[in-house]
Amino acid sequence: MSGDYKFDTLSLHAGHVPDERHGSRAVPIHQTTSYVFKDSEHAAALYNMEIGGHLYTRISNPTVAVLEQRVAALDRGVAATCTASGMAALTTAIMTICSSGDHIVASSRMYGANINLLENTLPRFGITATFVAPDDLDAIKAAIQPNTKIVFGEVIGNPGLDVMDVAAVAAITKEAGVPLMLDCTFNTPWLLRPIELGANIIIHSLTKWMGGHGIAIGGAVVDGGNFDWGQSDKFPTIAGPHYAMNDINFYEEFGPAAFTAKFRAEGMYNFGPSMAPMNAFHILQGIETLPLRMQRHMDNTAAMLKFLDGHEAVEWVRHPMLPSHPSHELVKKMLPKGAGSIIVFGLKGGREAGKAFIESVDLASHLANVGDAKTLVIHPASTTHSHISAEAMLEGGLSDDMIRLSVGLEDIDDITADFEQGFKAAARVRKG
Amino acid sequence: MKQDVNGVRIHIATGGRDFNPKGKILVMLHGSGQNHLTFVLQARYLAHRGYDVLAPDFPGHGLSEGEPLASIEDSADWVIALLDIMGVETATIMGHSQGCLTALELAANHKSRIDELILIGAAMAIPVNDYLVDMSDKALAKAIKMMTSWGHGPSAHMVDNTQPGHSMLDYGRQVMDINNRAALLADLNACNAYQNGASAAAAITQPTLCILGGRDRMTPAKFGRKMADTITGSKMVMVDQAGHFLPAECPMVINDSVREFLGK
Repeated sequence: MSGDYKFDTLSLHAGHVPDERHGSRAVPIHQTTSYVFKDSEHAAALYNMEIGGHLYTRISNPTVAVLEQRVAALDRGVAATCTASGMAALTTAIMTICSSGDHIVASSRMYGANINLLENTLPRFGITATFVAPDDLDAIKAAIQPNTKIVFGEVIGNPGLDVMDVAAVAAITKEAGVPLMLDCTFNTPWLLRPIELGANIIIHSLTKWMGGHGIAIGGAVVDGGNFDWGQSDKFPTIAGPHYAMNDINFYEEFGPAAFTAKFRAEGMYNFGPSMAPMNAFHILQGIETLPLRMQRHMDNTAAMLKFLDGHEAVEWVRHPMLPSHPSHELVKKMLPKGAGSIIVFGLKGGREAGKAFIESVDLASHLANVGDAKTLVIHPASTTHSHISAEAMLEGGLSDDMIRLSVGLEDIDDITADFEQGFKAAARVRKG
Repeated sequence: MKQDVNGVRIHIATGGRDFNPKGKILVMLHGSGQNHLTFVLQARYLAHRGYDVLAPDFPGHGLSEGEPLASIEDSADWVIALLDIMGVETATIMGHSQGCLTALELAANHKSRIDELILIGAAMAIPVNDYLVDMSDKALAKAIKMMTSWGHGPSAHMVDNTQPGHSMLDYGRQVMDINNRAALLADLNACNAYQNGASAAAAITQPTLCILGGRDRMTPAKFGRKMADTITGSKMVMVDQAGHFLPAECPMVINDSVREFLGK
């Protein structure tokens, strides 16, 4: 080995070396709850975080660890920890850093569950949030308070596709001494590795593009190892004696992996948001082809943008690769390989036309997920956001006529043909 | 813990236990551009197995203040000052890489203070090529990347790890990035300048254990073997597939070998 392995190689191999006894080339599925200790001393060493290893699958598991190491390697983090879902990853990451009385500055243009967690759930536990537009650097800076412990956003927002200037926001958070945590589900490390731009903690829903097959739910938290938890007294449960862990100081003991050490020792141990080994195995199968799939996603997305932009049935199209997108210039620099495979567009004819389109497409699947290998569509106004007023949707950057498209890997001619017949159904509704 | 040594505030890892200067003292000396985190999988383990551990960050490294020391001889004097301040009469020295050069110097010149030596990823001389020295001055991030890449063996490059979820290469880079910006250059210059390794090794009479990596490209095993041959009565453990960063790559080989060697 003359240097570090590159992305495509790591996608296939990182985290796994065939064991000497069996030599299994594929990652074995360690479907077990527990691990036999060599002796009492070995058990004590594991429990006391003196050495690495596995003691109970709620805390770690060999198959899940392969996935964790693969994701860490792809994102260039010092460590990763996998969880049962992306939301479990986010919640546990926040709980690892914040205590009652703490504050988070968060993007106002994010996935609904992210917003809901911060706006409605965490305040019940004394953790509050201020929401700001992810592209308003002055607002982000102004929203940081003395008790702010995290700045959180999505690199590519779901579903509005607002793009955050990661390097610029990272400069603000570094100066403020606050970690920048980013949900990178839409970009994956193939499009962008935000740790290299100064982000500190990465959240993934592995359910989406990383897995790609739509058969397993999972999440990951990647620790950039590039945040100094000891620079102030803001993070006493990481850089001070821990109240419940025999006074361990994670910062002094584990250095750049202090966050991960606490995430596993407290978050996995006490909250128990563990990923099932079988799900880890499934997601690993997906990651093996991540580079190939992402390239095809980008190619098909470019073709769909060409197809939709200017189509007579389409009122508007939004995607960061289009010159009309407000972040287009930023995206050309920050995301040169593409800006994800979600396209949102408006149909002429509004809500009823959108509903007719969704119900008439045959190839595209009508469901709530994104990032599947298969093309997916949803009309938020008649489904996920049907209980929300048109005014409230507009405030959240959504409109009545909006369709969210997750571009899949099918032959592009088949996708466009399916859309053409959907547009005809929408036109029939429009014309009455 | 924090301790002033020669007027500079120093961070010393004790493995999560209170330090007893009258106990069996094990001093862990890190290598070039590293800090106490080299021994993250040794310090806690051995501190909870009957040893009183001192894993200091040399000045300008890790969480210690001050400027990096200029020479191996200065480092050896500094360790003696540390032992004096901590009230330690004698100690076992466990060094990694450049820390081994300091250990050789200590053992040869302070025989009454050093009981045993454990030399990990070691040689009697560690010459550094001019390209890396220049890079550590002008392009530190590249130098760190090169050192961590070269320093780790094949399993680390495959992101295998005894610590679930961890990447040795990326962790290693961040560990080096914590240090004073001048630390790596000063350390590499100190390694280059040190010429006493062979004579120091020949003068050592203390029991010595050498733990070497068969895939070590920074202190290749053939030079480690030569060192082991030079030190009278030394024992050697060779880990065929390990690179230079043995404490991270094969932590339990180190821990078990140290305990067997020291008889506890």
